[in-house]
Amino acid sequence: MASLFGGGASSSSSNALNQERLDMALTEMDTVTDLFNRMVSSCQSKCIARYAEAELSKGESVCIDRCVAKYHAVYAAVGEKLKIRGEGQQQR
Amino acid sequence: MDFSGLSPAEQAQVTKIVEKRQFQGFLSMYGKLVEKCFQTCVNDFTSKSLSSKEDQCVNNCAAKFMAHSERVSARFAEMNADVMSGQKNVSG
Repeated sequence: MASLFGGGASSSSSNALNQERLDMALTEMDTVTDLFNRMVSSCQSKCIARYAEAELSKGESVCIDRCVAKYHAVYAAVGEKLKIRGEGQQQR
Repeated sequence: MDFSGLSPAEQAQVTKIVEKRQFQGFLSMYGKLVEKCFQTCVNDFTSKSLSSKEDQCVNNCAAKFMAHSERVSARFAEMNADVMSGQKNVSG
């Protein structure tokens, strides 16, 4: 997952279909899509309490903004933990 | 998503796959939104048609979800842009 958000694939310019690179790009896209969808549904549960009106209230809007930021922070924190664990397992 | 490292032939195939996934994503979102709005808005089973109140709630629910989703999308894009440019903004 090293190239996530980083745009790792940059070299090579042949016109041939490279299934491996294609799969990598699609896996990356699926990962981001999945993250986004989970974020939408999590922040919906956390921030939207009522459906009596169609517009987002001021409070809900602020909640959503913070929710997205925090979701990202948790994503990074969990990633960091998994990375450390992964490195520890490799050393054994 | 950055697919610029791919050849034109690869990009064409990616576009095809992306379109298919977008459609799948739409259908999946549709299903989840129906479930969410049904659970939230429909609690009375003394009639088989939606009451005007329920109908209004469902309309609000769908509209609010779209506003919510757009807001998350905007914040998500900003967040990714921040991460990409390397200047992680941990504020808010």
